[in-house]
Amino acid sequence: MNGDKRRFTPELVLRILLLILFAYFFLGFMLVPCLNTLTSIFNEKTDGVRDPLKVIRFFMAGSMPRFVWNSLKLAICLVITVNVVGISLVLLTEYFDIKGAKILRMGYMTTMIYSGVALVTGYMFLYAGDGMITTLLKNAFPNFNPNWFSGFNAVLFTMTFACTSNHMLFLRNAIRGIDYNTVEAARNMGANPFKVLWKVVLPTLIPTLFSLTVMTFITGLCAMSAPTLLGYDSINPEIVRLAGSTTADESFPQARAALLSIILALFTIVLLTVLSAYERKGHYLSVSKTKAKLQKQKINNPVANVIAHIYAYILFVIYMTPVVMIIVFSFQNYTAIKARRLDLHDWTLINFFGTADYTYLNDRGREKTVVGAISGVFSNEKTLGGIKLSFILSAVAAALACIIVIVACNYIFKKKGKKMSAVVEYALLFPWLLPTILICYSYRTFFNSDAVWYVGNQNLYFGQNVKLLIILAYTVVKLPFSLRMIKASFYAIDEELEDAARNLGSSGLRTFLQVKLPIILPSVLAVFALNFNALFTEYDMSATFQSPNGITYAMVIQGMLADASRGANMNALGRRCASTVFIMIVSGLILYLVYGVGSRDLGERLDAKKRWRDRFDRLTGKRKKALKA
Amino acid sequence: MIKLNDIVVKFGDFTALHDINVHVKEGEFFTFLGPSGCGKTTTLRTITGFIEPVSGSVFVKGRDITHVPIEDRNIGIVFQSYALFPTMTVYDNIAFGLKVKKVKKAEIDKRVREIARKVDLSDEQLQKAVSQLSGGQQQRVAIARALVTNPAIICMDEPLSNLDAKLRVQLRNELKKMQKDFGITTIYVTHDQEEALTLSDRIAVFNKGFIEQIGTPNEVYNFSKTEFVCNFIGDINRLGDGVLRELVKAGANVDLKKHNYIRLERLHVNQTPAEGEVVLKGTVESREYYGLYIKYYITLDGQTIKVIEKNDGVNIYEPGQAVDVLINPRDIMAYDAKEEA
Repeated sequence: MNGDKRRFTPELVLRILLLILFAYFFLGFMLVPCLNTLTSIFNEKTDGVRDPLKVIRFFMAGSMPRFVWNSLKLAICLVITVNVVGISLVLLTEYFDIKGAKILRMGYMTTMIYSGVALVTGYMFLYAGDGMITTLLKNAFPNFNPNWFSGFNAVLFTMTFACTSNHMLFLRNAIRGIDYNTVEAARNMGANPFKVLWKVVLPTLIPTLFSLTVMTFITGLCAMSAPTLLGYDSINPEIVRLAGSTTADESFPQARAALLSIILALFTIVLLTVLSAYERKGHYLSVSKTKAKLQKQKINNPVANVIAHIYAYILFVIYMTPVVMIIVFSFQNYTAIKARRLDLHDWTLINFFGTADYTYLNDRGREKTVVGAISGVFSNEKTLGGIKLSFILSAVAAALACIIVIVACNYIFKKKGKKMSAVVEYALLFPWLLPTILICYSYRTFFNSDAVWYVGNQNLYFGQNVKLLIILAYTVVKLPFSLRMIKASFYAIDEELEDAARNLGSSGLRTFLQVKLPIILPSVLAVFALNFNALFTEYDMSATFQSPNGITYAMVIQGMLADASRGANMNALGRRCASTVFIMIVSGLILYLVYGVGSRDLGERLDAKKRWRDRFDRLTGKRKKALKA
Repeated sequence: MIKLNDIVVKFGDFTALHDINVHVKEGEFFTFLGPSGCGKTTTLRTITGFIEPVSGSVFVKGRDITHVPIEDRNIGIVFQSYALFPTMTVYDNIAFGLKVKKVKKAEIDKRVREIARKVDLSDEQLQKAVSQLSGGQQQRVAIARALVTNPAIICMDEPLSNLDAKLRVQLRNELKKMQKDFGITTIYVTHDQEEALTLSDRIAVFNKGFIEQIGTPNEVYNFSKTEFVCNFIGDINRLGDGVLRELVKAGANVDLKKHNYIRLERLHVNQTPAEGEVVLKGTVESREYYGLYIKYYITLDGQTIKVIEKNDGVNIYEPGQAVDVLINPRDIMAYDAKEEA
């Protein structure tokens, strides 16, 4: 187009510059570090000669396959338990008529506001050897094994209930999308509700269930916080351990860690390939033009009905107990927390704000005081430091991911169908194929050297530089998700809008800023918030970096486990509860902003504004009247 | 006013427009009509500058604008989807073009309110979000937005196609009235022949990247230049050999080698023949009752032909009934066989 030729020369230069920058980041911070990890496996030497199979031989001969097998075992078991629980949750709240479904749903959705370390420590608070519920059970059944909550059982138990968030999001949407007329048609032809469920409803959910199964499997394989905290020898914790180890301690730990992460990557790639091939087939699309809203099915058999209700509420209790206990105990004194016994007369905010001294009687009967041994989340230097660091790193990375993706999407949509745009898109999706730990591990090993010329021969793992490295890792890891979400919002931009703006005289940049950006902004803000939410409490990546200059919030919380046993840090447990409460508030707020406020369009916002103004006028009007009277 | 000289547009190997020549007069309501994919929107987009022709030139008021950038052409557009900016209020949508042109704020306000009044948008509606307006109101916003910058020409790309049938007819009338009031040269793209016939001063009928005919509604309807035009516009009967031979037998001047057509309303049932009319015997096969008129399917010399009779309430014929069908050979439009579309 001639207009392009005349005006867009500076834009063309900008575009080329951006492409070069993009290539720099893709090659320098995705491809090269990961390839370095891959090749490091084959670079070990035997008697000074390169022996490409040495690590693999070592791997097969030693205890290494155990870690792979353990991870696989966990993944397979999780697929079963998470699907059983997840499907139950959705059916109980969306399909069957269960009394109190709204409250049940709130309980089942609590995993969306706390996860990872915050959740696992919460479960430990209840179920560990000295945990409340274990103590209760031990008192009730003297033969009960107080250490039941460790290793595989504990990980499976915790993750079964922790990993149902995706079911509550996607399966719930899928079941709500079912055309109720198909259910009515089946009933009309004589099928009972369970037959309808089995023959009509479930088959339409299969694509969603398949995706969820693959996602759960990958989650199980790549599990990090639960196995680390609960002591289960799976792949990820082992990689982290090996990454921190040196050749002085054991044989080529780095190469073994690399091998493990490559194995993980292979599994992920295969699974995702299967998934995307399956998704591309696009099964079971609803053919209805006019969908009827799903109506809850009453369970007519009274026995079945009672059983369903009991089941629903047992699940509710399992989901809610940790949440309630954590909230309640976050307002308790360290003595009450230590004894796991509620002191109804003594509530405190010390776990959140302020510091206090700890006084005790020593062996000689003298009073001793440890100054500042008790401190709240926002007064404890270490905790506050973790919060601040996580806040900054997450915010910067979340924003960076959004900006990169917006610019890339603008390019992809401008050059739709061209080879270069496909290359850009696949480059951004690349990190999706790799387990997070592979990326972080690769960064840690590759940039822990001053020989990388394209970062100015700086050691990025050294000292404060590690923060930059964490930001880079966070950004890279969040690119695929951001791309999928933001790209979808670009589809909502009518191409004629761009034409209209140009016809009215608007430049390319102005059109982007004033017409396109406002349209995608709600989605972008949502993606930013969700990215931030995930990164703020992120543990897996920062744990892989293991740097004293990169101790994130989740690592601080994990550290509180160790603190709790020392006298110098009396209320570490209480602070842990308070931390989790803080995380719940932050996440809850973000989810509310994203799904509650953010999804309103301009019309709804104007309406809301008007309502507020009317309310205000009425109030002030009343006040004026009152003043007059 | 607007002159398209030998416009050729190609998309890769595909030639979308072959030597298009159009001359639109000042103040005229000019319609591009044709089936989808015929090149009418491409022609419109060539005029507005979204597409650059491979060869040929576009003149507006004698000035060659073929290579003038889109925003400097001073041509307003109303898009098929209206393309109203969803994140802006109605007011901001209309003001956008003026803001881009850096018009003073007071002036913008004056002009926005003025144009809003002309297209019948209230002050309250101006403060609303676009999504809060009905389809008809949205269309008025789109027109106001296109007109507020005082363009020399306004182009409309199927602006009624997103609306339901009743609203479409209502807005059609409003559109025509507005165009008369503003007196602005209008280019209108549609695939709806009824819209084209009722609205236009002149129509260009497009087919496969060529213009088949340019003429007034009456010309394209009653004196279709090509077989494609006569088939595309209105309903028509192609007369079979049987009927044609009967006509020849009755002394009519009909060329059997050509494709011969006659409009439905030119045939009459059971009436006294006027001068030159030929009477043929037929049988009513079925009928469709439309209220205003009745459409009969009549078997006539081995073919079924359609006839429309005004519903005067006097004569309604039943299926199976033998009837006289009157044809005036002068009403027949004949085309060379090779022209078959």
